Amino acid sequence: MKSRTFTGIAFCSPLIFGLVAFTILPVLASLWFSLCNYPILDPPRFVGAANYVELARDDRFWHSVRNTFTYVLLSVPLGMIVGLGLALLLNQKVSGIKVFRTLFFLPTVVPLVANSVLWVRLLNPQQGLVNTFFRAMHMPEAWVPGWLSDEHWALPGLVLMSLWGAGGGAVLYVAALQDVPKELFEAAELDGAGPSQRFRHVTIPMISPVLLFTGVMGLIGGFQEFARAFVMTKGGPWDSTLFYCLHLFNSAFTEFRLGYASAMAWVLFAIILAATAIVMRSSSKHVQYEQ
Amino acid sequence: MKISLNRTVGWVVLVLFAVLFTLPFVWQISTSLKTEDQVGKSEFDLVPKAQTMELDGSRVEVKPVSRSGANQVIEVMEGPKKGAKLTVDSNQLTLRPHLEWSNYSDGFKAFPFFHMLKNTLVICVLVVLGTVLSCSLAAYGLACVQWKGREILFWAMLATMMLPAQVTMIPLFQTFKGLGWINTILPLVVPAFCGNAFFVFMLRQFYRTIPASLMEAARIDGASDVRIWATIVLPLSKAALAVVAVFSFIGAWNDFLGPLLYLMDDEKYTLAIGLARLQGQYSSDWGRMMAMSVVMTLPLVTLFFLAQRTFVEGIKLGGVKG
Repeated sequence: MKSRTFTGIAFCSPLIFGLVAFTILPVLASLWFSLCNYPILDPPRFVGAANYVELARDDRFWHSVRNTFTYVLLSVPLGMIVGLGLALLLNQKVSGIKVFRTLFFLPTVVPLVANSVLWVRLLNPQQGLVNTFFRAMHMPEAWVPGWLSDEHWALPGLVLMSLWGAGGGAVLYVAALQDVPKELFEAAELDGAGPSQRFRHVTIPMISPVLLFTGVMGLIGGFQEFARAFVMTKGGPWDSTLFYCLHLFNSAFTEFRLGYASAMAWVLFAIILAATAIVMRSSSKHVQYEQ
Repeated sequence: MKISLNRTVGWVVLVLFAVLFTLPFVWQISTSLKTEDQVGKSEFDLVPKAQTMELDGSRVEVKPVSRSGANQVIEVMEGPKKGAKLTVDSNQLTLRPHLEWSNYSDGFKAFPFFHMLKNTLVICVLVVLGTVLSCSLAAYGLACVQWKGREILFWAMLATMMLPAQVTMIPLFQTFKGLGWINTILPLVVPAFCGNAFFVFMLRQFYRTIPASLMEAARIDGASDVRIWATIVLPLSKAALAVVAVFSFIGAWNDFLGPLLYLMDDEKYTLAIGLARLQGQYSSDWGRMMAMSVVMTLPLVTLFFLAQRTFVEGIKLGGVKG
């Protein structure tokens, strides 16, 4: 048996090395840095919980927390609703469904930076496609949003952009919908359930594990939103799209406050764990797994 | 009757949404082929057009340069008088469909596109190789070899999946700086050779479905573990390895934070960083920016159509972030 242990470790050695060198040691170092004053050029100096105390008092930090929560609370549920709507449309018995499925999924294939470049233009207040559409619908000029150049509309603009990717979730929901046994719908119909009742009491419970999964993944991804704001708005106007991870990145690599940024990273980890736990626990009553 | 009405409505709504979701692509391609003065128009027009005028009996493309009263100063863009600047009455100009391919050729020049493409592909290929190799080895070690401690390793690996990259970002940056790896591709490539928790997990689940009797028989015939891995497990897991390859390729192609942290100059930039910087510099040059975003999107869309089944498989296997 001894030789099997050797074989096992040998096959896993790159993984073990990676876990230790690129995860476990950096995690320990990061924890230490978060308790230190660490301006990039000087060695870290222990300051206890000072970084965390400062975070609690930092208005810009709280502002970035608010922005990120607003973004997550808007984009995740809306993305799931749009995705579910697309999935229901795709679950019809009409020809060409595969083509439609491909069309809805295609936006999720667009590289993040190319997508950002595209949406900066789509959301342009004067010549962008979105506002051109609103004007064509004769929306009064005062109502036409300024999107990325208006502090009140920049975040909703990024939410709108994220909805273009709702087809990713839709593909998952369609697969789940097709696994729902037909007999369940027939039984519900025999019992006199109308379409909306069948949707609420059969469809939703049957695909609830997938809904929960996409919700949790969306949540985790949403809290880590970074590149789009970095490319499209740099956090502006007036910090209205300053996401948590953008603030963290700036603290670390433009202000060179590595200790402070490390503390932010740990708070982020805590937020993600707490949010995931809350969603999992509050949904455990509603999510039904097949026995 | 009622059913067929429902069906028709459902189909119409489906088509409407399909148009809505496709419109940004159509608009992107159309903008990438528009001339500068046409991009600035605020009406909805997807057909790229250019101003043309009758000059010496033939119709030539012209470019409006400036206005002087009711007259328009234009530059002739083709024909024997190419480059000449004329002042003409605005009535003489008519719009004709026209594809402005120079957005693409100028874009390629403004931004050392092919150089950055090469940089990106080098990183992508190494990341795919490293990920497929290290993950399939580790998955074999976790699924096909019985040894003490493999459960501990498996759970330790799963635990790291919850960790946001921001936690390890700063210590890793400092470590790579200490190693002198800044402005090289090593920080982007070396970790790929050390496994990826998500892909190892996926492959392990897959390898557990391979009948143990197959491997046992080979072992009795004297085959080593490396041989069993290479001649039995790898060929049987082609579909799963394809998922790992495709999604690690996309991950490397799209990666923004990594190259942003570790690559410092034009010589080394990847397409993602190059395009993001171009976005800052040429923010008003829509045609060119759209052309370059089309060019960056095209390889992934092509990959998607070539490997559609692998994509769908991968998404079902665990919502690899699309």
